[in-house]
Amino acid sequence: MKKAIIPILIVVGVVLFGSAGAFAFNVTQLPPSQSTPGESFTYPSLSLSSSSITQGKVLFDENCASCHGVEANGATGLAPPLLGVGPATIDFWVSTGRMPLEQSAIQPNVHPDRFTRSQTLDIVKYVSSLDARAGPPIPVVNTKRGNLAQGANIFALNCAGCHVITGVGDALADSTFAPSLALANPTLIGEAVRTGPGNMPIFDTTQITPAQLNSLARYVTYLTKRPQDAGGAGLGHVGPVAEGFVALFFGVGILMLVAYWIGDRTPDPRIEEHNE
Amino acid sequence: MSDPRYADRTSRPKTVERTIAVCFTVSLLSTVGFAATYWQTGPDMLLGVFFAMIFLGMGVGVIAWGKYLMPQGPFVEERHPLTTTEEDKQEFAEAFGRGADSIKRRKLLGKLFVAVNGVFAIALIIPLRSLLGAKTPGSELYHTNFGKGTRLVTVNGEPVTLAALDVGGAQTVFPEGYVGSATGQTILIRPQTTPLVTKPGRETWSPAGYLAFSKVCTHAGCPVGLYLQEFKELLCPCHQSVFDVSTGATQVFGPAPRPLPQLPLAVNSQGYLVSQHDYDEPIGPGFWSRGALWNGHNS
Repeated sequence: MKKAIIPILIVVGVVLFGSAGAFAFNVTQLPPSQSTPGESFTYPSLSLSSSSITQGKVLFDENCASCHGVEANGATGLAPPLLGVGPATIDFWVSTGRMPLEQSAIQPNVHPDRFTRSQTLDIVKYVSSLDARAGPPIPVVNTKRGNLAQGANIFALNCAGCHVITGVGDALADSTFAPSLALANPTLIGEAVRTGPGNMPIFDTTQITPAQLNSLARYVTYLTKRPQDAGGAGLGHVGPVAEGFVALFFGVGILMLVAYWIGDRTPDPRIEEHNE
Repeated sequence: MSDPRYADRTSRPKTVERTIAVCFTVSLLSTVGFAATYWQTGPDMLLGVFFAMIFLGMGVGVIAWGKYLMPQGPFVEERHPLTTTEEDKQEFAEAFGRGADSIKRRKLLGKLFVAVNGVFAIALIIPLRSLLGAKTPGSELYHTNFGKGTRLVTVNGEPVTLAALDVGGAQTVFPEGYVGSATGQTILIRPQTTPLVTKPGRETWSPAGYLAFSKVCTHAGCPVGLYLQEFKELLCPCHQSVFDVSTGATQVFGPAPRPLPQLPLAVNSQGYLVSQHDYDEPIGPGFWSRGALWNGHNS
């Protein structure tokens, strides 16, 4: 009677192991809807000519002026001046939803659906009109012209130190972090490279040429489609620690249960006789 | 079959037999499925699943068969005697004796052979001498390939000009001719456009706001390549040592024991960034004789 319980226990154990693994897999996965750029991230036109300065002023006064000031010259200890920073900087911060700032924090977070594309460009145009200095323009990035292998090389050399080689980002110093690149699209990648938002270094056109930027953006957009997941769960792409944990805990655990089933002791009739 | 040792382990042999049959059938069908998937160039995942089912079905079936449907024993097999027979011993002694007699007859060769081996054993002591008097690294640990007027080059070997970086930029550089050099790897940053005096005595080290620090962490030698341009800090990815650039890469967090050595920069007549001289202290992690000797190796 007692013996019949053991196989059941083993089956239950395997199921428990499996479901715990599935749970761990779920909590470490990015939601699938976020791994591809959403509708608000498509860039039909990079031209600012169609956007309206007046519309931009209204939006700026409503959403930005309370911190950056109506003349966009900033406020000490609160917000930096925006005069002369250039269209790429404004576009990056607004279209990723980092601005307007949701709450005061060391590092703003991404909120991708604040404004429509044309509203964002209105704000960009208005702020750019306030100062004669040009600043980096919104870069034109064409991933079709990029070379994937060259992009991977540039990414490994310049980006992987902080964003890690899988592009999922990592913690840095002083409560800051390198964000995941899952939401990045080619234009945002270009803007980040050229303007160095927050603590990211600036890479100008001598360091990463426009052609290299095409390659880099092609690689990053390729990376965010998770090509390395063809064989199964990515486990959050945080590397060998998570993978080793799964291999040791779940893999070896299940193997131990199987070994227990295979190798249990043959009952010795002599001992049973003795016990009776 | 009344002997309990030959009885099936299970009380329901029919059920077990059917289960095993199912296992083998699954294995069989999976083999067909695998072949078909391979033939049709189906998804890799499906190939893997079929492959797993082939061996899982086979394995579970065979083990269940052996475990539940085979005689369980115990069966006793007596061990054969372990001693060698008298005939074998005698035969060996004769064979050995024939060879030994033959050797004993040639006394000179025998003695020479012993001598050769003895001398060789003594010769083995000679390599010990090399171990004891091993060549020390000398002054290698105190120097990099930067010297007076050495141009800074990128990883592609291109010399770095004053226009190389915007404010907030960062780039890994090497001494010219030594791209990829482990000791020469240096992080070039530009926090501002005007000279930035990180420490007294370093007034001329930062033309146009360019600063260069050894990229080899003073803790464990990892490349300190993470530049936080807003906070003007360098971060080591291995153990999170943080270095404050403005004060000469002094360590503000983490296990690093010393600041990163700073490379004195200058601009040559062609507008290229060059080093004024080598680092004025050994780069990288500490070593035994570091404190005692390095002053004498200042350039």
